[in-house]
Amino acid sequence: MSVATVDFFTMPAVVTAEQLSKTFRVKVRDPGLKGALRALLRPRYREVHAVRDVTFRIDPGEIVAFLGPNGAGKTTTLKMLTGLLYPTAGQVRVADFVPWTGGPAFKRRIALVLGNRQQLVWDLPPEETFLLNRAIYDIPERAYRERLAELVSLLELGDVLQKPVRQLSLGERMKCELTASLLHSPPLLFLDEPTLGLDVTAQDAIRRFLIEYRSRHNATVLLTSHYMQDVTALASRVLMINRGRLLYDGALEALVARIARTKRIELVLGGTDGNRVTADALAVFGEVKAFHFPNAVLEVRREDAPATSARLLAALPVADLSIEDPPIEEVIRHAFAQGFEEADA
Amino acid sequence: MTGRLLGAFWRINLAEELQYRANFIASVLGTLFSMATALLTLALFFRHTSALGGWDYWEIVVLLGVFNALTGVVEAVLRPGIGRLAGEVRGGGLDLVLVKPVDAQGFVSFRHLDIWRFADIVLGLGLAGYALVRLHHAPSFAQLGAFVVTLAAAAVVVYAIWVVLMSLAFWFVSVENIAVLFDAVYEGARYPVSAYPGALRFLFVYLIPIAWTTTIPASALTGRLRPEIALAAALVAGVAFTLARALWRAALKRYTGASG
Repeated sequence: MSVATVDFFTMPAVVTAEQLSKTFRVKVRDPGLKGALRALLRPRYREVHAVRDVTFRIDPGEIVAFLGPNGAGKTTTLKMLTGLLYPTAGQVRVADFVPWTGGPAFKRRIALVLGNRQQLVWDLPPEETFLLNRAIYDIPERAYRERLAELVSLLELGDVLQKPVRQLSLGERMKCELTASLLHSPPLLFLDEPTLGLDVTAQDAIRRFLIEYRSRHNATVLLTSHYMQDVTALASRVLMINRGRLLYDGALEALVARIARTKRIELVLGGTDGNRVTADALAVFGEVKAFHFPNAVLEVRREDAPATSARLLAALPVADLSIEDPPIEEVIRHAFAQGFEEADA
Repeated sequence: MTGRLLGAFWRINLAEELQYRANFIASVLGTLFSMATALLTLALFFRHTSALGGWDYWEIVVLLGVFNALTGVVEAVLRPGIGRLAGEVRGGGLDLVLVKPVDAQGFVSFRHLDIWRFADIVLGLGLAGYALVRLHHAPSFAQLGAFVVTLAAAAVVVYAIWVVLMSLAFWFVSVENIAVLFDAVYEGARYPVSAYPGALRFLFVYLIPIAWTTTIPASALTGRLRPEIALAAALVAGVAFTLARALWRAALKRYTGASG
């Protein structure tokens, strides 16, 4: 493989993607019977640019989150990194391999967990699937025992192993999926929506496990998720992607600071029942997001936050005041809704 | 595909099936019933004729036994395995196979087995054995050897046909119904290929090589087969397998978008 920018690849990164693009040719079909017939006789095609010129790198031990709405190109990128798809253009190196030519040696170094698909055998206890993977990855008996014991204790799977998979809860199943995928000790994990559909407790358990697992084995994790808590709890860095383009690569806090145009002033009001502050009185200072005496939340323009705070303190009986960023979900949603480029400008 | 992995597949499928033991009885009864029906149909034919394509009644029963044994291979291995490929492609389950360090074709082909249908192989061979007794024909070692070679070749040919049909899933996505096409054509293997008129015979020998699957092994058992045909059968199996493998590889390339 010839690489133009050599130093880009000589650095010890686990994943490097350089100007990665994937274009699909999709058949266009007009609605109705006539459209179906025309598509059959004279098919027309349209190019869909699922991923465009995406460049990034991931260092060993990082947990990086892919963010973006449905159809943004997250899964397509993940598939190119795991060798399931050939890119239309660009270069990829993952764990010192070119994914689609890496063969078994490459596949032993990665794990792919898909939140909406399972490899567990439905009618049997999960341990049968583990044994199958032991055979597939050729794991020595002793290493298998030790590895399984570690994962079982980290994921608190004790009494689950003997039950048929069909009797397990969604959360237990995902824990077993993770166990099955990590038995061969891959240094690199690709997780597509690992907490999809799980309840809060199970989500939390998965997150705690991933943090603990990473710190024990210095594993590198690339995950996609719709749950912002996954991202805030796990990721040291986010890659934000929309319409196939990489829009942001960096720390989540820095992203929020860059694109959030507002700040939230959270107030605890003082004063007695006689001279209560009203919502109308607060509205003068900014947009009232919530008001339930004595608590109130105001949203103001980012640059106005210090001055407004000072005016609030002077004008009203304030017991406590703090300035916060708006919730991340809102910032991200807002950014995608507005078109990121515009928010970025 | 290592023996260890095949062993693991066998174990996991057996464990799955053992939960539903009633299936075994149902499966064997079903097979016995369909064999009885086939024999009745045959008896009906032979009320009007004494030979079919130059084969007499018990010779055709030998062939029917071989047909049932091969049907066992189809039902035990092919339909539950490679037969699911279309669903795996459409549902994305294939992705989880492709990231594993195993040969994907071998994995898809042998991961799911219908264990009880292996009984069909035993029942079919039993029927063929019984018919040989009625023919008062004890096959020589050479004939038995030729039978084993040609039966194995037959299994490979049938496997190759399934791989070819199922690989179409990569181009057309929804091809579950194509298994019906196989069933329809495979019915043609119930009778010796010499019983068919010229055009059909050409089709079954050269284009959809099902003639190789039953007529040739049955001929080996009844002592009709020339030794060079057994070698030819092995060769045909080799060619069929190679072609199927090539198509599978092309299909995977298409799946991953490597072919552009």
